[in-house]
Amino acid sequence: MRIFIYSLQTAFKNLWMEKWINFLTVLSVSIGLLILSTFAAITLNMDAVIKRWAMSFGLVVYVEDNLSKEKENKLKDLLQRDPDILEVKYISKNQALKELRNIMGDESAILEGFENNPLPSSFELKLKSELLHPDLVKGKASQIKDLSGIEEVQYGEKWLSSLNKITEIMKISTILLGSIILVAIVFVTYSTIKIFFYRRKDEIETLKLLGATRSFIRFPFLLEGLLIGLAGGIISSLSLFGIYTIIAMKIPLFMPSIKAIMVSLPLSIYLSVPPAGAVMSFIGSFIAVGKIRY
Amino acid sequence: MIEFSGVSKYYDQDIILKDVSVSIEKAEMVFLTGPSGAGKTTLLKLIYCAERPDEGHIVVAGWDIRKLKQRTIPFLRRNLGIVFQDFRLLRNKTVFENVALALRIHDMHPTEIKEDVFEVLKDVKLSHKANTYPAHLSGGEQQRIVIARAMVTKPTVLLADEPTGNLDAETSATIMNLFRDINTRGTTVLIATHNKSLFQGTGCRILYLRENQIEKELIG
Repeated sequence: MRIFIYSLQTAFKNLWMEKWINFLTVLSVSIGLLILSTFAAITLNMDAVIKRWAMSFGLVVYVEDNLSKEKENKLKDLLQRDPDILEVKYISKNQALKELRNIMGDESAILEGFENNPLPSSFELKLKSELLHPDLVKGKASQIKDLSGIEEVQYGEKWLSSLNKITEIMKISTILLGSIILVAIVFVTYSTIKIFFYRRKDEIETLKLLGATRSFIRFPFLLEGLLIGLAGGIISSLSLFGIYTIIAMKIPLFMPSIKAIMVSLPLSIYLSVPPAGAVMSFIGSFIAVGKIRY
Repeated sequence: MIEFSGVSKYYDQDIILKDVSVSIEKAEMVFLTGPSGAGKTTLLKLIYCAERPDEGHIVVAGWDIRKLKQRTIPFLRRNLGIVFQDFRLLRNKTVFENVALALRIHDMHPTEIKEDVFEVLKDVKLSHKANTYPAHLSGGEQQRIVIARAMVTKPTVLLADEPTGNLDAETSATIMNLFRDINTRGTTVLIATHNKSLFQGTGCRILYLRENQIEKELIG
């Protein structure tokens, strides 16, 4: 414990002594983390938008034309019992025709030419959100189509696959950008701590001769790295909070529709940035100090 | 306390020490002398494990140097006090902090550190310079601080490599008195020097290194 306190004092002293280079390192770390957290905020908002879109996604199941009412009810019951299906809405032949007339408006007179109602009755299904993947939906659709009394199953296949692609790209970009930035933070701290380590080479040699253990020598450097990352993370979180608050206040003034889309950032994002910075910088300084040989 | 048996050390093809065998008893004060390049510094380095022997065995304060693992070296060094010609004081720390550092490494309580540091600074007559930085001290004062730092941990062995190399005769005499005091308290002292005046008339054993071997042992 005494060694920890001494190392902490030494780390603070050294940080102060080399304040300019440390300030620049903290700034670099905070900019990196700010880019990362801003991207996370954008991803989070886009995710919310995609989820909203996904809510409107559905499958339309057309029933065979001559199916009895009893069989239709059985089919409805079967679909309602399916755990993957959230909602089942029945649309009768008449209802379908009425809706078509509404859509066609003045041109609906064309429909008068038919002797019988040409439209089939159908079911509109809403699937669970975790099932909204092109392959899974395709599987579900073919499973439903195999049921007796089903004529056809339709859904926005292209739309779903575009949506899926966007989500995939977003995920990959976040991982890629995140990895690059985190590696950059490790590298920035590594460089700074390496410089300090070389500058204090004589001091380290003296410590070794006085009987200092590896941890006694290493600890102040590791703590310096950790404090740099932590400070960078705190600055980044505060900046993100400030920027996001301003955007949330100002942008709706000239783009009112954005208010409905924008989500408030969870506290966990603000809280996770400083530890992330600290861990990455700690790794950087750990590599910089390397193996101490006597 | 220090035992060398058949110790040889080579740097590439060059022989630095050849078949050195010597024994230094507890509380003994011994001088190591000889021309430059005879291997005095290497012999000291072998004791504090900055170098490892290529042949032979070394035992220091019960530690077998050949068997010592890297991570154990600091614990051997905590039994030793080392005084260098170039002082090796930390320029960004005060006199007090420089001396206290040795005790911090020993993980001592801050109150004990304060007491011990002021006590040892009194011994070297520099307690009034506790808050001074090394750059503001004379060569003799800096060397006394180095001795204070070496003494403060109450080591079993004190090693000094040319401790008066940069000092005038009067200051050298003061430094030698300090070594005698330390030795009187029971610490084994080994001083490497080529300055004959330091050991003449001391009655101490003198190891004369020449051409990488102990050529003779004399009494000063």
